[in-house]
Amino acid sequence: MFSDLSAQREGSSLLCRPASEDQGPVFERTTIDYSPCTERYRLGERSFSRQYAHIYAARLMEMRPLLSERAKHKWGSDVLIKKLCDLETGEQCCIVGTLFKRMDLQPSILKEISEEHNLLPQPARTKYITEADELILEDELQRIKLEGKIDRDKCVTGSVIVIYGAEKNDGKFTVEDFCMADLPLQTPRPELGSDKFVLLASGLGLGSSKADSMLGLQLLVDMVTGQLGDTGEQSGAATISRVLLAGNLLSQSTQDKDASTKPKYLTKKTQAGSVEAMRLLDELLLQLVASVPVDVMPGECDPTNYTLPQQPLHKCMFPLSSAYPTLQLVSNPYSANIDGVRFLGTSGQNVCDIRRYSSMESHLEILEETLRLRHLAPTAPDTLGCYPFYQRDPFILEDCPHVYFSGNAPVFGSKLVKGSDGQEVLLVTVPDFSSTQTACLVNLRTLQCEPVFFSAFSADEDEESEMNVSH
Amino acid sequence: MDELYLDNIDEYVNDHNKIVTYKWLSLTLGVHVNTAKQMLYHYLEHKRKESSPQLHATYLVSGKLEGNGQTCHHVSLVREDQLEDFKSKMSLIVSVHVYSVQKALLKDSGPLYSVDYDAVKDNLKNCSKYSSIRCTNAVPMSAAELQQFQDVQRAPPPVPESKTSVTNGNSSTASKPSSKPQKGIMGMFANKSAPKSQDNSKEVKSEQKEESSSVTEAVKSKQALKSNPVANFFGTQTKKPDKPAKKEEEVVALEQQHQRTAPEEEQEPAAMQSHKETKSDSRSKTKRTEVSDSEEEIMEKKKRRRIKRPEPDSSDEDVIPDSPPQLKTKEKSPEKEPEAVRPSHASSETKIRKRRKVLKSRTFLDDEGCIVTEKGYVSESYSETEDDFQSTKQAPHASIKAKTTSSSKDDEKKSHKKSSASSNKGTKQASIMGFFQKK
Repeated sequence: MFSDLSAQREGSSLLCRPASEDQGPVFERTTIDYSPCTERYRLGERSFSRQYAHIYAARLMEMRPLLSERAKHKWGSDVLIKKLCDLETGEQCCIVGTLFKRMDLQPSILKEISEEHNLLPQPARTKYITEADELILEDELQRIKLEGKIDRDKCVTGSVIVIYGAEKNDGKFTVEDFCMADLPLQTPRPELGSDKFVLLASGLGLGSSKADSMLGLQLLVDMVTGQLGDTGEQSGAATISRVLLAGNLLSQSTQDKDASTKPKYLTKKTQAGSVEAMRLLDELLLQLVASVPVDVMPGECDPTNYTLPQQPLHKCMFPLSSAYPTLQLVSNPYSANIDGVRFLGTSGQNVCDIRRYSSMESHLEILEETLRLRHLAPTAPDTLGCYPFYQRDPFILEDCPHVYFSGNAPVFGSKLVKGSDGQEVLLVTVPDFSSTQTACLVNLRTLQCEPVFFSAFSADEDEESEMNVSH
Repeated sequence: MDELYLDNIDEYVNDHNKIVTYKWLSLTLGVHVNTAKQMLYHYLEHKRKESSPQLHATYLVSGKLEGNGQTCHHVSLVREDQLEDFKSKMSLIVSVHVYSVQKALLKDSGPLYSVDYDAVKDNLKNCSKYSSIRCTNAVPMSAAELQQFQDVQRAPPPVPESKTSVTNGNSSTASKPSSKPQKGIMGMFANKSAPKSQDNSKEVKSEQKEESSSVTEAVKSKQALKSNPVANFFGTQTKKPDKPAKKEEEVVALEQQHQRTAPEEEQEPAAMQSHKETKSDSRSKTKRTEVSDSEEEIMEKKKRRRIKRPEPDSSDEDVIPDSPPQLKTKEKSPEKEPEAVRPSHASSETKIRKRRKVLKSRTFLDDEGCIVTEKGYVSESYSETEDDFQSTKQAPHASIKAKTTSSSKDDEKKSHKKSSASSNKGTKQASIMGFFQKK
């Protein structure tokens, strides 16, 4: 644990008179090998003239052989794997396809604009699932309704699974068992000699009207740059070799489109909230990049494109900090190889979207589910904005990461997941810093994650609330 | 170590009533952050021993905290009175040090943030100078490296741009000439336009993204422009970023016209040949571009319409990008008057490339039997000497006559109408297009 390691280090207390001449210790930041995987999530020129059906086709085509393997492994190698068009009534077999969940509450733009329904736009809800939802399995040519031993509330549209069962007389397929693609193969990570840490933080929320989290943010920056704490802690902070900011650097309030709701004469000279917020971010990043390599991922509220994969923020918005080579502006989702440890993660939009359309509540549970499905964002493009890919689906996990994270979670969570082929994945849900004041430290040597909580005092806070650490 | 800092801190705290945080102190006195923390502690001790007026301090405590079955590393800013309490709650204390010293008791930690924010803001360049961690990679790139980086970034975009024009269809190809008007002009200057123009007639809708093709397209569009009697501007304006959309439309329209007026092409190369003869052309052209910048502002507001000239004037090509506004509106530039004076100064401005308005009244019989009297400005762009000016003046006449048989009759008439209209309206009215050309 970071605390233990920092406490073990040699360091004199700073509660003493300054020593003569001694300037103060200077520690070297531990360097690590770093190689980002940039091409997968970068879009070159974009054409939006295609339909989204191609993504599903590519997805099914890529996952079908994997799922057939799994089916044979689970239910015996002589199990029949059939396409929907070849199904015969009463025959026990396996079918591979994409799940589709028909939900009544799912917002549909067609219903909204249809005049015959006279519908007002549906207000946003936390969950769009109801009792009347139906699960349907689709493959290249046909679809069939599902019923049976499948948890309808946990499944989401877009997941590719294999189902074992039989078609009954009424034209529905009765599910006896089902199976997902599960974890892909993993290259084992190298043995590291010393402890090296990577700091994960998200949801900085700059530019918000309430600036409560700013001091916490400043404490975080001070700790990472080695200004805060005793010499022991500072030398510990020198082992933080990388900082990863996973989205939502700007606060939601910068997204207010005042210009569209207020009359022009009121908003004529006002600047967008994000302009000032970006300036604050640039200054903050300048303090960080002068001392540690930083990866900046865009999130839902950041000035980049809306659809996944979000492209990196443009460096022209960071005039001060982009002078440093330690600033890396990366895409969302993000994949990189940090000292042999593969990191893969998103800013949380995929997890939030699944949360809306299923009964799962915990971000960590959903994260594990996406790992088992072997797909980062199954609900894209159905309910999550996505670029119309043509011949590939870049969200399919091709090889297993060592650290799999998602940002902007309400609470911190971490879990070590073991796969059937000896894979070991650390799942981390990075909490939203503006509300929880918590960041995460991942130890690359032991694959353990520890939250770091920052607090200050305020007038109305009594000691109990200060001790209320958000876990 | 001299004790001066004690007095310094004393001054800040008592006299200026400041909140002295360790970071602010370190940046102000130029010392390591740890030294600053120690200084604050020493000062606090010193003052407490002397039992001077009340001083308050805030401390930073960090350590391991266990709660809810999870351990976390807790970093906290606490008031002095809360210090012991905090320390007792932690299972392992990593560090404790003085964060700030101030006279007043702080209820809220907000002011601490603003002090630190201001301190950092004033010292953005060396905010990590006094910290205890150095990172070898974190060296800002020099301006030269940055420039290199930017150039690398800029080079690929033009290439993908050309590709996008393929995918986006024909319309974008027209924007290419607009994006490289300079090259187009230079291409013209290079006297390679003749073969290119012929190629262009074949590949009006070609999607080649090489520079040469863009040049040729620019050339072609410019030539097409020339064939259009309505459009004439001077090349000075090409240096300004023009509206690609307008240009697009115009060039496409021109391209189409160009296709129809295939025979014109032959004239153009021929004219170009004659045009290229004079050595002074190239000289004047290069000079023209130099001086044209200075004249740009003057020319900007003026609405020019040039009579279409068959010979590919370099000025025509320069002017091409501005043709859309010209084509669309039937404006007359009131500033033509001063230009009319220019011809008299032609000798002094031989090397300057611009359009001159020559106020003349021409009466002639066109092929339809209409007698057209033009009492208007014939704006001709030329950069040659006066002699050339004379010869070129003849050329439009000849070309007009020659073209009566071609399908550019309509254009001709349009130009006539426009010029007569303009002559009627005179130069009183300010042109609308002056609006658009201001960049």
